Amino acid sequence: MSASPPDTTRDERSGAEQLPVPLLLVGAAMAVAAVVLAVVEGPHDLAQATINGLVSGAYFALGAAGLTLVYGVLKLVNFAHGEFLTFGAYMAIVGRSAFGFPLALALPFAFVTTALLALAIEMVMWRPMRRKGAGVMQLLLMALGLAFVIRNVIQLIAGTDVRQLGANVTSSVTFHGLHIGRTELWVVILAFAVLVALATMLSRTRLGMHIRALSDNPELAATTGLDTDRIIVYTWVLAGGLAGLAGVVYGASIGVITPNLGFGIVLSIFAAVIVGGIGDPYGALAGGILIGLVQEWSTLVVPVNLKVAVGFGAMILVLILRPQGIFGHARSAG
Amino acid sequence: MTTAITFHAFAGADFWIGVGVLAATYGIFSLGLQLNVGTTGITNFGQAGFMAIGAYTMGILVVKDGWSWWWAMPAAIAASMVAAILVGLPSLRLRADYFAITTLAFSEIVRYLTDNTRSLTNGSQGLLGYSGGWVTLSVRFGGWLNDHGVHVTNFLFPLLLVSWALLIALALLVAAVVRTPWGRVLRAIREDEDAARALGKNTLAYKLQSLALSAALAAIAGFVLALNLTLLVPDEFDPVFTIFGFVIVILGGLGSYFGVLVGSVVLMTLLEGTRYVELPLAADKVAAIRFIIVGAVLILLMAFRPQGIFGKKQEMLLGE
Amino acid sequence: MSDAILEVERVEKRFGGVRAVDGASFGIERGSITALIGPNGAGKSTLFDIVSGFERAGGGAIRLDGRSIYHLPAYAIARRGLVRTFQLTKTLNVMTVLDNMLLAAPGHPGERLGGWLVRPFAARRREREARTHALELLETFDLSGHAGEYAGTLSGGQRKLLELARALMLSPRLVLLDEPLAGVNLTLGRRLLEHIEEMRTRDGTTVLFVEHDMEVVMNHSDRVIVMAQGRVIAEGSAQEVRKNETVVEAYLGKVVVG
Repeated sequence: MSASPPDTTRDERSGAEQLPVPLLLVGAAMAVAAVVLAVVEGPHDLAQATINGLVSGAYFALGAAGLTLVYGVLKLVNFAHGEFLTFGAYMAIVGRSAFGFPLALALPFAFVTTALLALAIEMVMWRPMRRKGAGVMQLLLMALGLAFVIRNVIQLIAGTDVRQLGANVTSSVTFHGLHIGRTELWVVILAFAVLVALATMLSRTRLGMHIRALSDNPELAATTGLDTDRIIVYTWVLAGGLAGLAGVVYGASIGVITPNLGFGIVLSIFAAVIVGGIGDPYGALAGGILIGLVQEWSTLVVPVNLKVAVGFGAMILVLILRPQGIFGHARSAG
Repeated sequence: MTTAITFHAFAGADFWIGVGVLAATYGIFSLGLQLNVGTTGITNFGQAGFMAIGAYTMGILVVKDGWSWWWAMPAAIAASMVAAILVGLPSLRLRADYFAITTLAFSEIVRYLTDNTRSLTNGSQGLLGYSGGWVTLSVRFGGWLNDHGVHVTNFLFPLLLVSWALLIALALLVAAVVRTPWGRVLRAIREDEDAARALGKNTLAYKLQSLALSAALAAIAGFVLALNLTLLVPDEFDPVFTIFGFVIVILGGLGSYFGVLVGSVVLMTLLEGTRYVELPLAADKVAAIRFIIVGAVLILLMAFRPQGIFGKKQEMLLGE
Repeated sequence: MSDAILEVERVEKRFGGVRAVDGASFGIERGSITALIGPNGAGKSTLFDIVSGFERAGGGAIRLDGRSIYHLPAYAIARRGLVRTFQLTKTLNVMTVLDNMLLAAPGHPGERLGGWLVRPFAARRREREARTHALELLETFDLSGHAGEYAGTLSGGQRKLLELARALMLSPRLVLLDEPLAGVNLTLGRRLLEHIEEMRTRDGTTVLFVEHDMEVVMNHSDRVIVMAQGRVIAEGSAQEVRKNETVVEAYLGKVVVG
């Protein structure tokens, strides 16, 4: 009897290394939608909407990356994540006005300060609650309370006046009649670069491997002697930093910064995370772009004010049909 | 420069009547949340959306379709319940945080729709004109009270009495229903849904029923809100109110319906009271302080006394 | 098999790249006590989950008393007479012992929304019947003294007894016990086994249990089914199975792959 036994250890490969069927299906569906829209509304409008979609997709993806990292490692949906974006944007403002940083320096400043905030919250709140054995609902509600506190402390200090990052929101780059704002172009490039760096870090560095190990199989990771507390700390630092960056980038693109900045976009970020597959950074990228495209393409057929609602509709659809998202594993939801 | 924090607003009857109506509104609203979260264990973050459907359906039927107020209300309750079933059917099998996100997204979709269907809802300009029937009744009730020696000039006083009567009646009703064998299944679902399934209970059906009843309660709360404000705007159905509801439920104690009444009075007094406290700060910053207090209360409660005022600590310890 | 109460045919289940159950087939004879054994990762728990409706199979057929229960939801399978317990005991610790039992009473008009109001006599009568039945069962399992206490205050072994007693409230035809003796001390374990035998003799209930303790398997089961790598590799009496070479190999070591 020489039949080889099937591999009884769990399939550890991350979703993107085997092009999953769901991704191809979704890609096909989007392509079909694109063709239909091009025929009905005209290819020029579609192309412009696609560009706009890629821009929003960029900051959704950046915001989603941090959220999904935290979820992967802690199995916690951080409802306060949006506030990290707001904090980052305001830190960039502080950097520029109080220290005279140019925007290029304000970005890493926002990254660092938001990372520190996330770290502080981990030490003061999340870690003690984990030690106490707090349940899902407890943590969920604490995250909500935390969101309230962060957002309103910012409002207390900075007021509700609309602020700006002083980024160039008027000039744009044009080709073939399609526009993209100069700032927005930088946003896309930056987001792409950061996400590629993140992906590289996750697959090539030891920290990245540890994070993935902890995400995929917490029990196994604990028994192999990984210092889970330290990995969690690094994850928060990364997630906070990425969110801070996302906030700056988002604030720069829309040109309007208020204490509600993060809260206004957080549900779209959730949508991106869910559509892409929670816990998977590739999912954050794919989900971000998808939600961005869905939102902007929908403006071709529904009133502009409803585009965010359409994004939510896409998320709900994914939750109904395939709750684990494009890159997720079947066990992670439901 | 002298800093003065003054509290003289607390002395007036008008203040307390206002707080009372709000407490009744969000008390009824939170009865539904208690049924969902405290008894059944489903994290319904869409309660504001159900409230919106109730309030707006009633308003639209009266103002745009000329319905009688008495018929519009049951129709609006039915609309909310149907929405609950439609939302719950596909999403109740998801885990707690996903269900929370879905219901939150639903709530926001409702708000976006009410903001963007001007012809129906008047959007942010506000829908008014539905309270005629109530105003007549209210004036007559006020006159009757006057004739019997109760001289209160605040026009909200009848609404205060009616809404509190409703709140108490509904609280008693829901608390009684939860003590039946039907409620026993809900409580089993809260602790361990798989155990209930293994014992032959169709848990999805029970969760849908819980959600639908909660939506009905949200709709009723929506009516009280609508009559209080006499004007409906989408901002009144922001998810922040669902969060207030959660604070009320937790403050009063997970599982305690009497606690909802207490929690509602406490929170509304806190929120409205701090609105009138005169601080040497700009209005938006005062508002920020109020919300910081709410957020901090939520965090501290969940950290140190998750069972709230009237919840049983044993249940929290044994449950997880 | 002469009178099979449960028939499992070529059932399959994949999780991602792993075939947890790879074409398992067996039959359970009515009124028997059968043990399901196998090394870790053999697919026993997954099979249990599939048969009881907690997992969806990816292929195959499952019949209870001749009727298909394939892809039926878990609650429907329980109502058809197949009740299971769990490896990590699922007593409702925040409810009293008696409430745990009452919860399990099937066909209760009071459990329908509004039933207590619309059919008050039928509901109250069913509640009284359930109470009597519950107290009888609690008496049999030596738990009646704890009826009014929170289930969470019972010891681990007592909770296992409660879970079993609760399952019997449904008067099941087939009971699936997932590692009933795990973490239970010797005395309580012996009592559990006695109850299992009684279930068969007194009520004709068929029992299928997953167990790792070979002594228990050898001495307390009529038949043994052995699984490894998602398939059934042997069936028979305890003696027959113990001598089977394939079984020995499955436990002692994997087949060498070239």
